[in-house]
Amino acid sequence: MAHNNKGKRFENFVFNILDKKSLSLLVMLLIFISFVASMLMFPAKGVLAKMLPNKSTNTFTVYIDMPKGKSIGQTKSVARCVTNLLQKEKEVNDMEIFLGQGSPLDYAGLVKGSGMKQGEEFAEIVVNLSDKHSRKEKSYKMVQRLRPVIKDTCQSIVRGTVIKMIEMPAGPPTLASVVLEVYGKDNRKVILLAAEVADVLQVVDGLVDVDVMADERYKKYTLNPIADKTAQSGLSIKQVNQILYLAFEGMGVAVKNTIDLNNQIPIFVSLSEESQSIDKNTLELLRNKLGQLSLMNMKGVMIPLIEIVEIREELSVPMIYHKDLRTMVNVVAETDMVSQVYPLLQAREKMIQRFAQKYEITKEPGITTYMFDLHLQNKQTGEKFLLRFDGEMKVTLDTFRDLGGAFIAALILIFLLLVVYYKSFALSAIVLGGSFLSIIGVIVGHWIADMITTETFFLTATSLIGFIALMGISSRNSLLLIDFAQGLIKEKGMEKTRAIALASATRAKPIILTAIAIILGSALLASDPVFGGLGVALISGTVAAVMISLIFIPILLNKTKAI
Amino acid sequence: MIEEKDLSHIKTTDFAGSLAKNFLYNPLTAVLAIFLLAIGYLSLEIMPREEDPQISISGGSIIIPAPGLQPKEIEKILVEPLEQKLREIKGIEHIYAMSMENVAVLNVMYYIGQDRESSNLKLYDKVMQNMDMLPKNVMHPLVKPFDIDIDIPILGIAFYQNSNNLSYPEYLTEIENLKKEIASLDNVAKTQLKGAHKQQYNVQVDLAKLKGYHLSLGQIVKGIESIAVSVPSVKAQTKNNELVIFGIKNVIDSIKDVENIIVAQYMGSPTYLKDVATVIDSTDIQNKQSAYIIFKDGTEYEQITLSVSKLAGTNAVFVADDVNKLLKENKNRLTKLGIGCVVTRNYGQRANEAVNELIHHLLITIVIIAIMLVFFLGWRESLIVTFTVPAILAITLFIAFMTDQTINRITLFAFLLSLGLLVDAAIIVIENIHRHMHEEGSENRDMDELLITASDEIGAPTNVATLAIILTMVPMAFVGGMMGEFMKPIPYNVPVALLASLFIAYIFTPYLGKKLLSVSKPQEDEKSSETEQKPVTITRGENK
Repeated sequence: MAHNNKGKRFENFVFNILDKKSLSLLVMLLIFISFVASMLMFPAKGVLAKMLPNKSTNTFTVYIDMPKGKSIGQTKSVARCVTNLLQKEKEVNDMEIFLGQGSPLDYAGLVKGSGMKQGEEFAEIVVNLSDKHSRKEKSYKMVQRLRPVIKDTCQSIVRGTVIKMIEMPAGPPTLASVVLEVYGKDNRKVILLAAEVADVLQVVDGLVDVDVMADERYKKYTLNPIADKTAQSGLSIKQVNQILYLAFEGMGVAVKNTIDLNNQIPIFVSLSEESQSIDKNTLELLRNKLGQLSLMNMKGVMIPLIEIVEIREELSVPMIYHKDLRTMVNVVAETDMVSQVYPLLQAREKMIQRFAQKYEITKEPGITTYMFDLHLQNKQTGEKFLLRFDGEMKVTLDTFRDLGGAFIAALILIFLLLVVYYKSFALSAIVLGGSFLSIIGVIVGHWIADMITTETFFLTATSLIGFIALMGISSRNSLLLIDFAQGLIKEKGMEKTRAIALASATRAKPIILTAIAIILGSALLASDPVFGGLGVALISGTVAAVMISLIFIPILLNKTKAI
Repeated sequence: MIEEKDLSHIKTTDFAGSLAKNFLYNPLTAVLAIFLLAIGYLSLEIMPREEDPQISISGGSIIIPAPGLQPKEIEKILVEPLEQKLREIKGIEHIYAMSMENVAVLNVMYYIGQDRESSNLKLYDKVMQNMDMLPKNVMHPLVKPFDIDIDIPILGIAFYQNSNNLSYPEYLTEIENLKKEIASLDNVAKTQLKGAHKQQYNVQVDLAKLKGYHLSLGQIVKGIESIAVSVPSVKAQTKNNELVIFGIKNVIDSIKDVENIIVAQYMGSPTYLKDVATVIDSTDIQNKQSAYIIFKDGTEYEQITLSVSKLAGTNAVFVADDVNKLLKENKNRLTKLGIGCVVTRNYGQRANEAVNELIHHLLITIVIIAIMLVFFLGWRESLIVTFTVPAILAITLFIAFMTDQTINRITLFAFLLSLGLLVDAAIIVIENIHRHMHEEGSENRDMDELLITASDEIGAPTNVATLAIILTMVPMAFVGGMMGEFMKPIPYNVPVALLASLFIAYIFTPYLGKKLLSVSKPQEDEKSSETEQKPVTITRGENK
């Protein structure tokens, strides 16, 4: 009995609102205010947007990038420092160190170029943690806590070392959260500008692991064979090259075949380590060392190498990097548990300030996914540079743009469907407008979720998917309501306001039932790191959608003549 | 068992009503239910499982060694002309070129979703067509396509020696043999060793001694080269046409033979290699790559990681299980040999855990919804709605299986997302039946007529509303980029689930309603024992 009383009471409640103009207006005003208020949460940073949130996993990787030209021994000492620190962590099960190469490829490494790493300056440490279910600390929390400790202690061992802590991405991997592409004509100047950009990024809050992806220049020596002396002594330049390579790098000169092993055994000749090593990195000592090396010419006469070559000290030439045929240098940074949007905007502001003296700055016109780009022109030389914001930011913008497009397409499709069904633009617009208002619930839901969780709860791409799905759910509620009300008026000849109120009361039960089903269905989603946004969007959006369908839509229906 | 009954007198306007009418007494309805559940269960078991969905990223690297050239030269004569040529290929999104000392590396990324095979072919073709453009002194270019599904290993096994039972070459041979066995397993694509060193005889020449003996490095090389030659067997014939086969044995049989190579002779006394150099049977010292593993207790070993990747579209769980089984069989033997091994990466297990966890979530959600419905509608009604869920998911799973999808995190999220939506159709139908049954005068109504009319009544708005939700999902399939590719399972599966939910709701809700509910015994339901007073009945559509 109570049940039906409730139905009757609700019917009267709706009828009252519909009947009294002031009440109707009040409800409409309230909804309008909450809509505006929720939209204002974006500029007020009540709700932060991010593409995908962090995900707790059982593994993370430490990348060690030494300056080019450092030896494996130096790389090893840095790696050792990192493992010594990590060794103290209780939750670390084991660690794998890969020196001079990348670790076995994973999702993150695929785009971060881990598979391409080869050289004495690289090392990667895979840290395997205890199972995430039995571990209290989330892996991303742990990374955030350890990052400063590791960097402070180990980065200073060898100057120029960059240590990065790489987490498994929750969604599709990107090169880095923040990627700044510095384009220009001259490689050397681009590298210099990139270094300045990196300086700016270093001081922005929330950005970590800043790295300029260009080679550092280091001291090296070149041996120039003196052509006429070489010819006079009966040697060839090729011979000189070969012997030098053989002496210091070594060469396999022959092989031994084996029956019982899978491979041939090479016979590798080089100078002994003792004979190779040079006490200090100076020109003089190198000359002494090379002085001990002699070559035999065709006549069997020994000729000291030093007599036919000239040693010169010079700086190494850095690698030239092109992207899509243009000279470019990447500056990358990771975000430290925050959305990349806000540090990025801050960095952009700082860059504009810093470069304003030397450069003429023009912003990218129009709204595109490259809208943050800055064009720089040197005031003196007229050289042009482009600072392009790429990375996760670009992917986020692209995704949000595409999802926005999908959303608009969905709106148009639903509208057309409704027009076909009702043959009335007004009714279709009411259904659609009501559905759109469920965004209030989505935003408020995220705001509440952000307040109750200890970490920032971001509005993510999955929240948007949830919102798009909500549009459909919400319009279903309105549809059933309108259909029922129309039936009552046409068949029972009921008065319009009473029919709408009754329809609202009768449909309330299935609408609430399906809403509860959705809320319960999404409750488990809400706790998931990746699909939490979808869950929260569906839960809070559905609550809003129910209220809108049962109270707001009847008001609009009552006002329209289409019914 | 089921009596045939003429239902033609009941008018229906919507396909909801006609489905309800046609299946209400159809003996195949029950069979269909069992069949659906069976194919669903089979699909769940057979479908390949992975943690993350497959994203087809195609691209490749072109590596051109150019010894002796500076970055600037490489950029001008090698990279720039080649970049322009690569630009001609359709479907390439980005070209990254690195001009370094002695080598040029070009990385090509295709747009996401491009066909892998033809992309690889196009790249290779383009490079080969332009071989004539390559400057002199440049070596043959190496074109290496990368393939996300083959290149990302699903398993990593670290091997280490915890005693000195075996020499390094013997230890390496053990692991290489194991690698060979694993490579021969079904669906294993690529096996790779990281941190392994090759056996090598190292001749380390002492510069001072070399000077003392008045020798050059060149002489030492010549000395070794002259003796380490293998010659194929030689055949000769005897007078009786018999074949005599004799071969020249490789002189170097052991490390001792290398040591005793005579590199020079002076006044009749030979200088042996061991006089000027140390010769050791060890590993490739020029390879600076190495790998270690450090355990919780602080023990550290030099390790070799064997990584295993699977073929695209195959079940990560099965492949990982097969490899682990093989490993277990060999474990005892390896332990005896002093080789320890530990699995450091197991994506198969992770995929299985992720999938099982989500299936678990799915079940919990279904139970919660069922309990909620018991309170609002009664347990019989709740049972009917709860049955429709597995039936709908079964259809969706089967269709996903048929369209070569895999079960992964995103597919299951698509299911979880649709779960809230797909019970709606059934809830709306059952609620309407429930409402009709508890109306005044419903005691006298024919049950069949009631079920069909109730289904038919809400048919049109439910169809339109479900269609509206489907329409919201469809545009998501056109979202581009990585993210779009990543969440493809949502627009692929949610619409299917929703469509299935309509059919299932119209076919099975009235059918099960017929079996489980009855108007004649209203006391079955607590609430219905009270007199209902709602006067509303509409038979929408009949007037239209």
